Amino acid sequence: MYHKLAAGIGLAGVAAILLAGCTAAPAPSGPVTITYSNFISNGGNEANLAKIVAAFEKANPTITVKVTTLPYDAYGTALQTDLAAGTEADVFDINGPSAYSPLESNGSLAQLNGVDGSLYNKALLDSYATDGKQYGLPTSFSDVVLYYNKDLFDAAGVSYPTAQWTWADETKAAKKLTDAATGVFGDHQPVTYYEYYKVLVQNGESLLNADQTKAAFNTPGGIEAAKWLVEKSGTTMPTIEQGQGTADFDTNLFKNGKLAMLHSGIWVFGAFADTPANWDIAVEPGNKKVANAVFSNAVGVSAKSKHSAEAQKWAEFLSSSDDAVNVRLDASWELPTIADTAKLKTYLDKGKPANRQAVFDAAKNIAAAPSIGDNQSKMQDIITAALIEAQAGRQTVEAALADAETKVNALLKG
Amino acid sequence: MTLPSAQATLLDRAPGFKHAKPVRDGRTRKNKLRYGLTVLAFLLPSAVPLAAFTLGPMIAALWVSLNKWNLLAPMKFVGLDNYSKLLSDGSTGAVFLHTIYFIAGYLPLVYIGGLALALALNTALKGRSLLRGVYFLPVVTSWIVVALVWRWLLSPSNGVVNTVLGFFGIVGPGWWTDPTWAMPSIIIASAWKDLGFVMVILLAGLQAISPDMYDAAKVDGAGWWRRLFSITLPLLSPSTFFVLVISLINGFQVFDQVYAMTGGGPNGSSQVVVLEVYDLTFRYGRAGEASALSWMLFIVILAVTVIQVRGQRRWVTYG
Amino acid sequence: MADAAILGPHTPRSSSASRRTIGFVTLHVVIIIGAMLMFFPFLWTIITSITPGATLTSTPALIPANPSLQAYQRLFAERPFGQVVLNSLFIAAITTAAQLVTSSTAAYAFSRLPFRGQGVVFAFYLATMMIPFQVLIVPLFVELKSFGLLNTYLGAILPTLASAFGIFLLRQAINQVPRELDEAATLDGAGHFRIFFQIILPNISPALATLTVFAFMGSWNSFLWPLVVLRDPQLQTLPIALAGLQGQYISDWDVIMAGSVVSIIPMLALYIFAQKYVIQGVASSGIK
Repeated sequence: MYHKLAAGIGLAGVAAILLAGCTAAPAPSGPVTITYSNFISNGGNEANLAKIVAAFEKANPTITVKVTTLPYDAYGTALQTDLAAGTEADVFDINGPSAYSPLESNGSLAQLNGVDGSLYNKALLDSYATDGKQYGLPTSFSDVVLYYNKDLFDAAGVSYPTAQWTWADETKAAKKLTDAATGVFGDHQPVTYYEYYKVLVQNGESLLNADQTKAAFNTPGGIEAAKWLVEKSGTTMPTIEQGQGTADFDTNLFKNGKLAMLHSGIWVFGAFADTPANWDIAVEPGNKKVANAVFSNAVGVSAKSKHSAEAQKWAEFLSSSDDAVNVRLDASWELPTIADTAKLKTYLDKGKPANRQAVFDAAKNIAAAPSIGDNQSKMQDIITAALIEAQAGRQTVEAALADAETKVNALLKG
Repeated sequence: MTLPSAQATLLDRAPGFKHAKPVRDGRTRKNKLRYGLTVLAFLLPSAVPLAAFTLGPMIAALWVSLNKWNLLAPMKFVGLDNYSKLLSDGSTGAVFLHTIYFIAGYLPLVYIGGLALALALNTALKGRSLLRGVYFLPVVTSWIVVALVWRWLLSPSNGVVNTVLGFFGIVGPGWWTDPTWAMPSIIIASAWKDLGFVMVILLAGLQAISPDMYDAAKVDGAGWWRRLFSITLPLLSPSTFFVLVISLINGFQVFDQVYAMTGGGPNGSSQVVVLEVYDLTFRYGRAGEASALSWMLFIVILAVTVIQVRGQRRWVTYG
Repeated sequence: MADAAILGPHTPRSSSASRRTIGFVTLHVVIIIGAMLMFFPFLWTIITSITPGATLTSTPALIPANPSLQAYQRLFAERPFGQVVLNSLFIAAITTAAQLVTSSTAAYAFSRLPFRGQGVVFAFYLATMMIPFQVLIVPLFVELKSFGLLNTYLGAILPTLASAFGIFLLRQAINQVPRELDEAATLDGAGHFRIFFQIILPNISPALATLTVFAFMGSWNSFLWPLVVLRDPQLQTLPIALAGLQGQYISDWDVIMAGSVVSIIPMLALYIFAQKYVIQGVASSGIK
């Protein structure tokens, strides 16, 4: 008899899933409450987000925004569970173009009409549009720049990085700056997918072919780009055994004055604020061209939202209103994605580093990140694993890339 | 409740007579119904939640395994495709092998260590309550912290372990950065963390053994090793059985420590089944395959558990 | 005493005393070294929590340069950590009480109430432990959504009301209670409910105390399910709040470690409290 009971409950469970698609009664008009689920305010910016919400509600008295904040690491799990069950918020955060792609292709995002595109940085706005239709709005961005320790440069008699630098210049400087006796390393750049797709563009190559159906990185230029990353390890950069790749390893090295150059994001400005050494930033040197990694977060409106007009209003306010911009700038909470850089002037005078203009210069030449829908994470895993095999010396760069190419092609073929 | 008259007569004739089990043979229909309701009363509090909130979703997951689903778009029925895809993929065998490797290393370590601990802390050792608390600390510490500590301890270039090995002239391996040593690193950290858990279970079992059991053996001149094997371990067998079954069921589903220590790497060398399930569901958009893989794992765990349960008659003695 | 059973090999009386002492001392030393190894990560966690701006690489200093409690202050000031701890306590307490009830009743049935198909039913019970939770989340979520229980305490608790682990643990314990005790009670005219409450439960208090600790711990540290079912910041539990301390790009490790310390202490207190019952329970058991 218990088998029957179990089977009955099981069928109920299946029925519940099948019925998940059914919609409830339409919502009444009048004061509207919309839900917003986010991860961007986590880790210290909850109060700042509350300020933006308060400003929005003041300007729109009939709309109330109910905010849910989730941990960054687990956000994807929660969002996908919501989407599977149909309980997603009206507005929700999108973790970059690579997360945007499967959401858009599966119809989870509502089309946003009547957005004033001139308000936004065009390249960022376009990374959340498909076939000319807008499905997400970028809310913040940060990019990767080259940090350098001026004191170490001075001591070694090496001139500072310039806009004309290429990889060869960087390598030369790094070798001169590396000093085993004092434990100083010349350069640090992570060996991951996120660096690789960018250095490929810097070398005139690309990760995938134009319609993203095949791998395109296993070329002489692609191998050269991989070697650019991998060969630092053990020469001008610590090896994996020495701790490279672990959390905060590179920033600690730089903070302690043991690293002359560092490729990292602008989000560590705060961590270096009280570093005694003189340091500054420069745009990353390219090889055949200059291209930079720009990470952005966005918001989207749920395709199933019953208050899409109000939801879109909130999305636009969060991403481009003066209130939101000012809150971000005051709190050094990443950078707004607006086009009018005049409004961002206060950012330039905020203290170390002096060359904050490099942040905006870097955003002018964005290395487009591949975005392939459901298989995105798997592809990234394949590439990073191959690079690490090469870095650890368990495979040659050529062999590792050839392996990765086979796997990526198999994955893209589906 | 009165005894049926036949048995009452038996007891009159032989007051020392004891039944092996309380007799509930329910001669009358009323008794049978009473008994059945009693069974239901004792079973329903647990049966209803388990059926509704575990068995139900399990069957739903079985249905999902027959579909292709990325959680965002509606499901698409594909029959046994997911299963055949998994069975023909080499990486499926690999993740099962890694999981079995984990169990083979973890289980002996944690049981023998936990047993030694329980035996030692069952004695009149000074400060044993404090010691029992300290040994339980890792059990209540989250894997985020434990993974951080062990990654640091096993750091290839300046970790404590490799430094100590260096004193003996041994060049320490790359531990969690090395494909060959990634799983052993996880095994060591896991055994260390769960020692306290096994200790607690076995301690409770040891406490139930009356000290007089040993008197006869000591009079016979049995050494402590003999006493361990002839008296302690057999009387401890119900707890041992419990530890083995639970450790195997949990070992096959190992996830937290692999996720925290190596993420399945380097290069998939420590990828285990449930981590693959998680990746497939939430990162690769292949929830159908994930469910199919889970059900394959279920069959394996079920088979192993059935073998254990059947086999317990041979070596488990209940007091 | 049981200690004699493990202390040293049986030797001629004249040197057994000194042998015993050496064995005793060695044992002490080994155990204490082991204890230090066990305690070390906790110590490291505490030290990191009072080191402002702490980072993870490099050897943690045993005596931090500028110890301060600011991490703890930030923990409770910047986010509703107090509420979070209360939520976790509430949910864990109810879960533990529920599991004690469901586990003991089911364990009694499997140990003392033979019925047709008992083996199959027990197999179904055990089977609920054999499927990874990661694959049950979505169907369970959909099911609770259909009951309208998302974002409620009840929704967080319902799936944890019964646990095959607890049932299995208590069944083993009940199996070890001699049936003579049952029979004596039956002769006195006791029915199953009386036997359950007056004979069985008092005799398995070590196992009940053990289950209390593990049930509480399982609920206290549970992450995935509370994450998806509790979204309201006023309802969220401790593991979710701790995960929220890690930002997208950087994390304040001293605050994270402070959170970990706060998370460990109630668990440890419960364990120490429960240990008393494990020992007390044995002393008062009716064996012999």
